[in-house]
Amino acid sequence: MADREQFLAHVRERIQSGGARPHEHYQPTVAPDSVWTPNRPRPSAWEPSPGELPERFLAELRALGGTGARVSDTAAARDYIVELARQKGATLLVRWGDEPTEALGVDAPLSAAGTRVAVWGRDADARDLTATADIGLSSAECAVAETGSLVLVTSAERGRAVTLLPPAYVAVVPSARLVPRVTDVIAHYAQAGPLPASLCFHTGPSRSADIEQSLAIGVHAPGEIHVLLVE
Amino acid sequence: MARMTTTKPARQRDAIDTRHTGPEHAGGDFNARGREALKDEFLHDSLALAQARLSGSRTTTLATLPDAPELRARAYAIKQDVIAHLDTYLERLADAVERAGGHVHFASDGADAIEYISGIVARRDARTIVKSKSMATEEIELNHRLEELHPGLEIVETDLGEWIIQLRGEPPSHIIAPAVHLNRFQVAETFSQVAGEPVSPDLEALLQFARRRLRQKFLAAEIGISGANFAIAETGTIVMVTNEGNGRLVTSLPPVHIAVVGMEKLLPRVADLSVFLQLLARSGTGQKLTVFTNLITGPRRPGESDGPEEFHLVLLDNGRSQILGTEFDEALYCIRCGACLNVCPVYRQVGGHVYGSTYSGPIGAVITPLLKGDAVAKDLPNASSLCGACWEACPVGIPLHDLLLKLRNRETREGLAGRDQALLFAGFAQAMAHPTVYRLGAAAGRIAQAPFIAAGSIRRAPRPAGRWTGTRDLPPIAGASFRDRWKEGI
Repeated sequence: MADREQFLAHVRERIQSGGARPHEHYQPTVAPDSVWTPNRPRPSAWEPSPGELPERFLAELRALGGTGARVSDTAAARDYIVELARQKGATLLVRWGDEPTEALGVDAPLSAAGTRVAVWGRDADARDLTATADIGLSSAECAVAETGSLVLVTSAERGRAVTLLPPAYVAVVPSARLVPRVTDVIAHYAQAGPLPASLCFHTGPSRSADIEQSLAIGVHAPGEIHVLLVE
Repeated sequence: MARMTTTKPARQRDAIDTRHTGPEHAGGDFNARGREALKDEFLHDSLALAQARLSGSRTTTLATLPDAPELRARAYAIKQDVIAHLDTYLERLADAVERAGGHVHFASDGADAIEYISGIVARRDARTIVKSKSMATEEIELNHRLEELHPGLEIVETDLGEWIIQLRGEPPSHIIAPAVHLNRFQVAETFSQVAGEPVSPDLEALLQFARRRLRQKFLAAEIGISGANFAIAETGTIVMVTNEGNGRLVTSLPPVHIAVVGMEKLLPRVADLSVFLQLLARSGTGQKLTVFTNLITGPRRPGESDGPEEFHLVLLDNGRSQILGTEFDEALYCIRCGACLNVCPVYRQVGGHVYGSTYSGPIGAVITPLLKGDAVAKDLPNASSLCGACWEACPVGIPLHDLLLKLRNRETREGLAGRDQALLFAGFAQAMAHPTVYRLGAAAGRIAQAPFIAAGSIRRAPRPAGRWTGTRDLPPIAGASFRDRWKEGI
């Protein structure tokens, strides 16, 4: 495309107009903000043992206003979800159709409890139903202990809307899938080849401080988040 | 309230009036707007609160990063590499986006970007566009221009703060807190106009109204338009961070997603995110990570039933290339975190609207004259105490105070600084270069100042010193110089 070539040629010409000049990094004469001062007393780096990851994750998630729990197995996770739907009087739950979510086996007990289940990637009307669902349910690629984040990737069975539109959202992640830091996830995907269409760090309930700087929860995305860590 | 336009009454449609005065036609000058803003007590209190809250959490969270100084140095080095080889990385980015199934448009200015987007609107016969907060689209006044070109088209800002100011016909007053100048009663008044019935000024009621109203727009929209915090050359990925989730909805639900991105927002590799994601949210809001950090690579894949069918990346020059290869190119390293606004003593007093530009605060004072020319923004580089707090807070280490000084120098060279100032500096240069002139000048000054001294300081002086004494006292020249006192053994 001609204008692409022109655009790039113009950029190239402008850069070269400055000569061979990567200029020197600005060196201050006074000590900067203590945060950036290289020789300040530094906090020690967090070196977690695998055993402390679940507690750290749950503490971070709770600090953000999310709810989390460690459950012994998928049956316990299923019971938690059915009980939550019952408490909320949920009439519709939409869930991912991927294998880990399927394996929870929530469909039959939820139906028995009066909650209809729509499955993304299987039910043709799942996309439309998501807008009116009371609860969204998904798995997660992994979870980050340092920040309380879920790492969500998309596929045919894993729709973005399931984790976004319902007012309440439940994610089920095996404890073994916890990683210490955000940088661990970045390092993994930097090596993993082509990225999925969407990779998302989903960290706690939707929040806004746009009106009088007061914290408001759930303005667009779920205001209620439950993460179940399966041992 | 200090703002550049008066509040316009709501139209029936939700997108009431997105036309606001851009930098080119801002009425009055910085000082006139500043004087108005200083009278606004609510603005003053909210700015003080916002600065304390945001910069306080920033310091707390950054201080827990053991390698913060190294990350900052690394961020600077990465940006330096990006800007020095921008053509190569832009080409790589465009190829990668196309490999992922997306489209790329290189827009040399706002009109070019708008023409491209307008073509998509026409082809998709779009009636509703949802937008997530984007400074680049503010900069090119996209909403206003598109609605002019497509009568009946509704463009809805979906960030809560941005929606509120869109409904009121105002520009944002802070990069990350656009409605920081408003109180909830003003918000309720605006929402009530839109609803056609009273909406309670209760926070929860306002929130529920916004959620319901905007949810309809998300579901109806044919096109979603967003900005991006980063664009990754290696993979063609754009990265967006949001807290409300509107950014993820805008890029997931409509069948078309258009990202409008300043061409300097490039990062070479996915791995570079480990540097920038650690710095961005911590510097902006003091969060370790925002609620949603989205990495979007192309349109939806075969078999997927949400995510956009079409993905367009519009890479915007709009004056940025004029900064390349100049002594100002560090201004292009900015990641728009807002940290410099949150520590600036000038911003604290007057707020964002006074800058008369899309970009306010220290970074706005630097890039507005660079993008728009010194003639339209000559006051901005002078609206700084040069204390350097902005540079200290900047996670990329942009020497903002240094750039402000260089811009003042450029203004003086271009003859924009005004005759009084030019005269004053020419006189000062003569005096400093010639000891006799200096001594004579000081002696003359001692005599001339006598009638103006009251209680040990000069409260009001004639031109050119009158500009100074208009806002503060001038210390008088001492009765005897240091040289004289030294001769006399002090």
